[in-house]
Amino acid sequence: MKRSYRGVILLCAVLFLNIIFTQKAVHQYYYEDYTATVIYAVLNLVLFPIALFIYHKEKNV
Amino acid sequence: MDKNNKIPFDEDNYTHNINKNNERKLDRRGFMKTMVGAAGLFAVSTLPWGSIAATELMGLREKKYAKKEIIDVNKLKVGEAFEFAYPTDHDSALLVRLGDNEYRAYQNACTHLRCPVFWEKEKSELVCPCHHGFFDVKTGSPTAGPPRRPLPEITVQVEGGKIVATGVKRYET
Ligand code: FES
Repeated sequence: MKRSYRGVILLCAVLFLNIIFTQKAVHQYYYEDYTATVIYAVLNLVLFPIALFIYHKEKNV
Repeated sequence: MDKNNKIPFDEDNYTHNINKNNERKLDRRGFMKTMVGAAGLFAVSTLPWGSIAATELMGLREKKYAKKEIIDVNKLKVGEAFEFAYPTDHDSALLVRLGDNEYRAYQNACTHLRCPVFWEKEKSELVCPCHHGFFDVKTGSPTAGPPRRPLPEITVQVEGGKIVATGVKRYET
């Protein structure tokens, strides 16, 4: 059976973005740029449902 | 059981204590599950930062700072530095007298990993000994080493022979 590794790659990309957004959020917090912090935190939150969605789509292919 | 007496005995040493099926196997689906879990973890871990930032945004945009006496002017010679705490007792800060009427004060927790920053008189520079971070004493911005963010500056003024801290400057964005 030939399997698709698209899900694996996509989830790696999601995790990569997670790392970037977390880093950015913390740094912008110390720069007292609170709007940016909130934006990055929200982006990070949004990534979780996306990851779940990718998992459900890709788990059986 | 005399295989224990033969060295090396004929067995895969790294897996002989695994009993469950697939105990050491991380398949594609298992890996994807781990990644989803990690995404969840990251999401949760940014929550506190986000929520503190949000409360910060809603309330006090311009924070009010109480004035605080630091030291008598004539107790601090030109070129000397004095450590104090501002705005709270837990925020250590450093006052440097650069000239007769020129003072600079910064919160002296290094912007890399929060080690205390010291005044290096000979080099006229602020130095963090932990990983050799250097800061410009005139502006507070990092000049060398790991720190990327300037030290937060404390505004000071002289009032009746005393140096008084009046507030913490915001970063310009
Ligand atoms: S803590 Fe100051 S340079 Fe690392």
